[in-house]
Amino acid sequence: MLETYIPIFVVIAGGIVFGIVMVKLNEWLGPRRPTDEKLSTYESGMEPVRTARERFSVKFYMVAVLFILFDIEVVFLYPWAVAFKELGVAGYITMTVFIVILLIGLFYVWRKGALEWD
Amino acid sequence: MVDQALRSLAQFLPETALAVCFCLAILVGIIFRRRPQIVPVVALVGITVAVWFAIQQTGSSESVFSGMIVVDPFAAFFKIVIGTTAILILLFSIYSSEVQSTIKRLVEYSSLLVAMTLGMFLMAGSANLLMMVLSIELTGLSSYVLAGYTKEAPDSSEASLKYIIYGALSTGLMLYGISILFGLTGGALEFSDINKALAGGSVSPLALLVASLLIIAGLGYKISAVPFHFWTPDVYEGAPVTITAFLSVASKAAGFAMLIRFFKVSFIDSNVVGLPAGFWASLQDFEWNKIVAILSVLTMTLGNLVAVWQNNLKRLLAYSSIAHAGYMLMGVVVLSDKGIAAVLIYFVVYLLMNLGAFYIVMLIEAKTGSEDIDSYKGLGYRSPFISVAMVIFFISLAGIPPTAGFIGKLFLFAALLDAKWIWLAIVGAINSVISLYYYVRVVRNMFLRDPEGAKTPIAFSLPQFAILVILVIPTLVFGLYYSPIVELANASLSMFGLP
Repeated sequence: MLETYIPIFVVIAGGIVFGIVMVKLNEWLGPRRPTDEKLSTYESGMEPVRTARERFSVKFYMVAVLFILFDIEVVFLYPWAVAFKELGVAGYITMTVFIVILLIGLFYVWRKGALEWD
Repeated sequence: MVDQALRSLAQFLPETALAVCFCLAILVGIIFRRRPQIVPVVALVGITVAVWFAIQQTGSSESVFSGMIVVDPFAAFFKIVIGTTAILILLFSIYSSEVQSTIKRLVEYSSLLVAMTLGMFLMAGSANLLMMVLSIELTGLSSYVLAGYTKEAPDSSEASLKYIIYGALSTGLMLYGISILFGLTGGALEFSDINKALAGGSVSPLALLVASLLIIAGLGYKISAVPFHFWTPDVYEGAPVTITAFLSVASKAAGFAMLIRFFKVSFIDSNVVGLPAGFWASLQDFEWNKIVAILSVLTMTLGNLVAVWQNNLKRLLAYSSIAHAGYMLMGVVVLSDKGIAAVLIYFVVYLLMNLGAFYIVMLIEAKTGSEDIDSYKGLGYRSPFISVAMVIFFISLAGIPPTAGFIGKLFLFAALLDAKWIWLAIVGAINSVISLYYYVRVVRNMFLRDPEGAKTPIAFSLPQFAILVILVIPTLVFGLYYSPIVELANASLSMFGLP
């Protein structure tokens, strides 16, 4: 029974060994010229440790709200897509109405300029 | 399944009309961006169509969408009351300085008003705990935004924030109560199933009491009953007058419809025999009406006593509307058809007089820029017609004949005496006397005091008078010829699933 798992263990063990070997090989063979900039967590990104009491642009809030809205749309679309054949025409009409209502919302948001960053 | 959905949809026309109207209002608002004035017209037409559909429903008694919503005369009555209020509020908005000064946001104003009306229509018809919460939330979310509509004014934003915090808390409490009830009844969500489960099994009375108290907290918040009223004065003062008037009538009507339906259908004991005609009994060991009686006494007493000290007319009317919720709760206490009919009659009357009073506050505020009682000094000489109309609304609110307010109170007290709730009737009568004092205080300022500052007459346009006349005439006529409302109320008593 347990023998069937041996190939999986072999793959995991091989993966771990390969990973360690490659990192160590890189350290041993590669040239190393460290600078402050290179040693930071995100070399060309934001500072990893900063004050948390910072003011964010309210635009992020708008993006977050819109994201949730369309995220929920997808949440509803998935089960419908899975059970599409069973639900038939009734399901199709229901989802069409739902999507049309959301589209009106999207249209509204768009024309109101909420999708423009500046 | 398609058949059932289509058949349900045919009974769902008022709500469908409102939902379509909401989408249309938004679309029209975007397409005709330069002329936002058309959007209220779209909303007005949509709500009128919805009310017309609701009138068609007065005869039917059906359960639609697998028991989520019921269509019955009781729901139709409240839909008509709420829809009529919405129509009048949209008419008021044409002359509201607060609404017209922010004309760019008229699209949001009108469409949210329609959404709120839709939520209240659903509240009037919901017969399922889930639908109950959903419809309360739909109403709530729209009204939070509308309460903060004039976002330039700090007190409006404050009103909105207070409203949303109290709303979140009370919905949370109510959901907790619903979850307890759900567990107690073994997973019943429909009101009629709750009734069956409670009548059949032995349920811990304490748990049932806790669940009902929590649900009463949620519904009490909607009808602003003491001790869940704390948001009312601040929200009423901060929100635009049109929204305040809408909240004070329609929101309360929807809350009452839900409260009466929930408690009557869930806790009626249909096996008790030998009751006088028109009376019904509550399930054994659970006298929820005593809780409502306490709530009623607290609500009217506190509302009236605090109103005496108010100098801002909007705040005064806020406390007066709390007191009126207390009077109407008396009709729920007695567990009889007569009591419920009295509440329905009172709502028709309350709609007319309360909207009228708020309308005048709005007109005067637009001219003098103040809602203070002192700014009403000498108004009787500056604008006689408006002042006389205000007097009519105020004596109607106080319940003095020959106005409609008297008829409303008369039927409430008659129902109470019929059911031998003498002490409650006495408390109600004392409260009416207290209320007379603060209403008359405004009247005294208008007619017996000389104007401070400007003494010039205040002129109003003809349509503004026309709207006022629409409200004044019925307030007077229903005081003498009241059989139409009484008949309407008696015909609207039957609920789906009850004899």
